[in-house]
Amino acid sequence: MNPMLLFQLSWRNLWRRRRRNGLLLAAISFAVAGVVVLNSFIRGMQVQMTQTAVNNMNGHVKVLAPGYLDDPGIARSFDLAKDWRPDVLEGIEAEMVAGWASRVRVPAVVMSERETRGVQLVGIDPAAEAISFIGDMAVEGERLSGSEDGRLLVGRALAEQLETAAGRRIVLITQGADGRNREAGYRIAGLYDAEGEGLEKAFLFTGIANVQNLLDASVITELSVRLTEDRHGPNVLSRMIDALTGLDVLTWQDLEPTAAAMHEFVDVAIAMWFLIVMGALAFGLINTLVTAVMERTRELGMLRAVGMRPRAVVVQVVVESMLIMVLGIVIGLALGMLLYLPMASGIDMSAFAAATEEFGFSALMVPKLEAGDIWLVVSLAIVIGLLASVYPAWRSVKITPLEAMRR
Amino acid sequence: MSDLVVSCEGITRVYADDAVPVHALRGVDFEVRRGEWTSLAGPSGSGKSTLLHVIGGLDRPTNGEVNVDGQRLGGLSESQLSDLRLNKIGFVFQAYNLIPVLTAVENVEFIMQLQGVGAAERQTRARATLTRLGLDDIGDRRPGELSGGQQQRVAVARAVVTEPVLLLADEPSANLDSSTTQDLLELLRNVNEQHGVTIVTATHDPMVMDYAQRRVRLRDGAIEHDESSSGA
Repeated sequence: MNPMLLFQLSWRNLWRRRRRNGLLLAAISFAVAGVVVLNSFIRGMQVQMTQTAVNNMNGHVKVLAPGYLDDPGIARSFDLAKDWRPDVLEGIEAEMVAGWASRVRVPAVVMSERETRGVQLVGIDPAAEAISFIGDMAVEGERLSGSEDGRLLVGRALAEQLETAAGRRIVLITQGADGRNREAGYRIAGLYDAEGEGLEKAFLFTGIANVQNLLDASVITELSVRLTEDRHGPNVLSRMIDALTGLDVLTWQDLEPTAAAMHEFVDVAIAMWFLIVMGALAFGLINTLVTAVMERTRELGMLRAVGMRPRAVVVQVVVESMLIMVLGIVIGLALGMLLYLPMASGIDMSAFAAATEEFGFSALMVPKLEAGDIWLVVSLAIVIGLLASVYPAWRSVKITPLEAMRR
Repeated sequence: MSDLVVSCEGITRVYADDAVPVHALRGVDFEVRRGEWTSLAGPSGSGKSTLLHVIGGLDRPTNGEVNVDGQRLGGLSESQLSDLRLNKIGFVFQAYNLIPVLTAVENVEFIMQLQGVGAAERQTRARATLTRLGLDDIGDRRPGELSGGQQQRVAVARAVVTEPVLLLADEPSANLDSSTTQDLLELLRNVNEQHGVTIVTATHDPMVMDYAQRRVRLRDGAIEHDESSSGA
């Protein structure tokens, strides 16, 4: 069967019912555009949730002393060589690793002249914290100058609770490695703003050497490794588990199970969303094609009567519907891109800040359009178009040419 | 090459769709010789169209055997029957049955396209056939823009352009006035005499019967009378 003939017949048949096929084309285009845009929001939220979980000092892979999660404190600490680095381990390439940071994180009580609060005191090397939210958070006042810095960075929300400010002094009490309480006064270098008040109220930052001196222990309680891409996670995890025996090597999913569950749920939600929209579209497509084929039963019978094989008739009907589908996909993708591009840099959701923070989202909603999702839309639409057209096409040839011509 | 283009033996066709079976053909034995123009006549329900459809492989007999140009139709699949119709049989229908989205010349080319004839040869043959049938000025019009007579002539052009072994025409003049019918029959006579195409028509129309060299009259699914003449 001449493919050009099939294409010619199919193309011209499309123009016989301009209004109906135009409406169908519009329905496909809007469905594809809607799926693309809404999917970019859902995917954007998913990416943001992952980023938030990774940014919250977890990294993609985190090393802890056994038992630290259940009983955090300096007693659950470990030591690594000063020059230890993950990217020299066998099987881990340098380009897989974006950075790593060692920290000492212990529970502490902070007191101002007016208030007392329980917090997490975190000793950091500011230069290594580009891998977490610490690296890019806004600071009013001064940032920490290095791991030896003995001043504090206090969250703005905590500072309000403590009724204190940058430049003032506050007192910290925590437990040392020997089990005895340590108490020291520190000056506040600056107040930081984080995504959500929860972080601002929970964490106090100072130089890592400062905390080690306070606790009289030259150890760390955690090591976070951030990767350049999520897909390197399983490989790096297994290599680090092999290299760091006796320590807990965990993923961000282990540390933030709720966020991990949401991440997986979003994948399922996207697939279901695709199926629902495309499924609804399939019914519309089947309805239109069945009508179109029934109208032309006699004509399709005649094509067979003069020598067109039944298979060629089926192919012709399928090509016809696939032409509409492909056109609809192309227009839908173009429309989707037109809608997406103005929003690609993000949408300000600060009016709903309380709600977005509750779910771990930033107030800036950044939609994410992934090639994989576009392929999923395209391939799903094509598969549905094929399935939807095979039925009416099959109907058209299940009767004899003579029966068809008598209708 | 056999002298027989069509050979039917003991053809019965029973339609059992309704509660009462309808016997459209009752043991018909029928032959058509190469180059012959045979007209099947008879009242409505006599079985002439059914016999035409059975010969063309559009319908399968309940019993009996049909051979077209030496090929037994009984054992052929739907696709093989399509191939047989494509390569050996030309059809002219009562309702013209042109493809509405194709122009006249494209309709004439259509069968050749199915046969895989190259574009240049196709166009040349289609244009030449239309010219021969006096239709060269309407080649670029679609069926909806043509009169009934013009559409039927295009249908004849489509049927004969590939020089089939057998041309089957079912009530070809039913929708035409007498003048147009006359033109059409002259056309068929030309195809029959000049190109040696065997023709079988099923018709009520005495004009069509008069043009045929042989008239076969059917009644109640059986051949009642078989008569040859030298034509009109």
